[in-house]
Amino acid sequence: MAVVADAGSLYGLLAVGAGLATGLAGIGAGVGEQGIGAAVVGVVAEEPGFLGKGLFLMLLPETLIIFGLAVSLILMFAWTPFSGIVTP
Amino acid sequence: MHLLHIVNYNGSEPSFELGKPIGKAREYSENLIKLRSITRYLNLKNKAPDKTFPESQILSEMDNLLNNVGADITATYERITAIDAEIKSKRDQIKSLTPLAVLPLPLEAYYGYDSLATFVGTVATPVDADVARVSPVNEIYSGSAKNATFVAVFVPVEKASEVSSVLSEHGFSEISVPRLEGSVDSAIATLEGSIKSLEGEKAPLQKKLAEMKKQYEDLMLATDEYLSMQTAKTEAPLRFAETANAFVIDGYVPSDDFPRLKSELESAADGKLDVQLLSEGETEALVEKGEDIPSKIDNPSIVRPYELITRLFAVPEYKEFDPSLLIFIFFPIMYGMILGDVGYGVMVFLVVYMLKRKFRTPGWQQLTSIVLIAAVWAVIFGFFFGEIFGPLGLWGRIMGHLPEAQIELLKEQGLYFGEGVFGSLGRLGPLGIFPMDRLATNAVLLLIGTSIFIGILHCSIGSILGIKTELNYGEKKHAYFDKLPVMLLQIFFGLLVLGLVMGQMMMVIVSAIVVVGAIVMMVMGPEGPMGLAHVPFYVSNLISYLRLLAIGLASVGLAFAANQLAFYVIMPMLSGGATNSEEFTMVAIIVGILILVSVHFINLLLGILSPFMHPLRLHYVEMFTKFYSAHGGGVEYSPFGHVRRFLKA
Repeated sequence: MAVVADAGSLYGLLAVGAGLATGLAGIGAGVGEQGIGAAVVGVVAEEPGFLGKGLFLMLLPETLIIFGLAVSLILMFAWTPFSGIVTP
Repeated sequence: MHLLHIVNYNGSEPSFELGKPIGKAREYSENLIKLRSITRYLNLKNKAPDKTFPESQILSEMDNLLNNVGADITATYERITAIDAEIKSKRDQIKSLTPLAVLPLPLEAYYGYDSLATFVGTVATPVDADVARVSPVNEIYSGSAKNATFVAVFVPVEKASEVSSVLSEHGFSEISVPRLEGSVDSAIATLEGSIKSLEGEKAPLQKKLAEMKKQYEDLMLATDEYLSMQTAKTEAPLRFAETANAFVIDGYVPSDDFPRLKSELESAADGKLDVQLLSEGETEALVEKGEDIPSKIDNPSIVRPYELITRLFAVPEYKEFDPSLLIFIFFPIMYGMILGDVGYGVMVFLVVYMLKRKFRTPGWQQLTSIVLIAAVWAVIFGFFFGEIFGPLGLWGRIMGHLPEAQIELLKEQGLYFGEGVFGSLGRLGPLGIFPMDRLATNAVLLLIGTSIFIGILHCSIGSILGIKTELNYGEKKHAYFDKLPVMLLQIFFGLLVLGLVMGQMMMVIVSAIVVVGAIVMMVMGPEGPMGLAHVPFYVSNLISYLRLLAIGLASVGLAFAANQLAFYVIMPMLSGGATNSEEFTMVAIIVGILILVSVHFINLLLGILSPFMHPLRLHYVEMFTKFYSAHGGGVEYSPFGHVRRFLKA
């Protein structure tokens, strides 16, 4: 099979993709948590008993980062779509 | 007796009225309010008792405490507040006087005129010409200091409004002049002198207050306890239903304690009362009606700290399962799996143990007990992952390296987890067990699998409890078409992925059939096709368990970076390119250790917080949603009575 690109630069692109996946997911989760966090702090200041439920709500968007991270891990460790085209 | 959870009577029955307080309720509550205001002046906090008092002593000392000591404390506190206010007003005066020093006028020249209007303040541009234009009769003094110009303008009263508008064009902002006499400097000196003397008066008063706090702290808390107890006792009838000749107390008691309650009540009232128990059927009816039946949270003492986590979310309802036991099993393991470092584990253990010794309030005790057990698990996982303050450096020195031949042998058997992104570290664990390196590719893949597996186990237990809870409430449809398919979906989705990874087509096909079946069941369930909208949520629940691996990797990564930086960058660089640790210079070693300590300290702080928060979330979001408090939380059983802390029984 023809050599499309060398292994090193493809691996580099994979790494960039993995970084983007985690990083952008982190930004998304942060934006989501921002509003919730502010609201939760307000509620807890009024009614300390809501701390548990507030934490629950605040941590909901955290899953987004984990999705990004899962994609990163797959890219870095488990997914080798170029193994056929790349000849080391 | 501390047995009966009294339900407040809401006055809904026409023939029963609310009861009235008995005895000296009014006196007790008045005294309590008095005492509370004194304790607030002293800034008293609730604390563990140093000594206890008999009730007779409280009674004999209460009058003195509330009136004489209390009046003394109140007077002292009020004097301190007054001094503070006076000091503040004098400081303000000094602040407004200081700029006036640039004007050549004594202070009494600024006020006391009938026919003259006075303007004192700062301006942006010179005002003399414009003021002279609107008011030919005028007197203007100006001076500048600290890049601002100060003016004092005196004009006849009838020209005041015109001059004022002219001044505002020049950016005039007024300064209020305190009504004092003499030159500005001497006035400031006088004010400063009196501030000093006021502060001199304040210091001994504060010391006196602190001494009184020390002397009366325990007695006051004991009196507070006594008065609260008496108030609760005398005001209890407010919660009863009453007729002219009798009263009814409505409440809950644990079934096992009912005979004791009955016999004690009957002997106390000489048989003049009737204790009745609701039948099973009536209880069921109450549950149906959504009546808040209190639940008594009762766990073995080792599980008890974890009730804190349960309570933080919601108190279990009467027919719900109390998840504290499950938290006790899973939470520390999850914490350990995330932190997984011998060094950090020991550090966390020591720090938290010190906190446990220092803070003796029940909340702190529970929290620290939770973290202590979790820290032990962190140490255990630390041996498993081969980490002492990160995966590099100390492990090899303490535990020894693995011989080359043995690494080859392990590689052949596919058991070698030491070779990763950063190359072989070749380490040997205790008992010859070879620890895995979390940063290695194989280990990451293995841990992904383990995390998802823990997730499936965790969620399935949640689902089983969910089925049980729904059956308890008699909701068969919810149990079998809402909770059961979720469990099947999660288990077989996991198996499906596993089958794909292992290349077992049979497993994939069977799992796929079950997953489709589960989805069909969900559609048949109470929510209908809308239930499908939840499917991605349940799958994402499982993926969420990847955080067990991910947070751990982040912490290992930071620790690894710290070690790498210190041992392989900074130390060789500062010792002139030496690579052998014996050639490092003294400076290099000191700088390296400083870097190690600071980065590991930051990592340790994160290492206490995030391994705690994330398992907490896994419980709250992923597990509790499957079975817990679907109806909005219950009421905790709190029997009428008082725990004596400062009072002798």
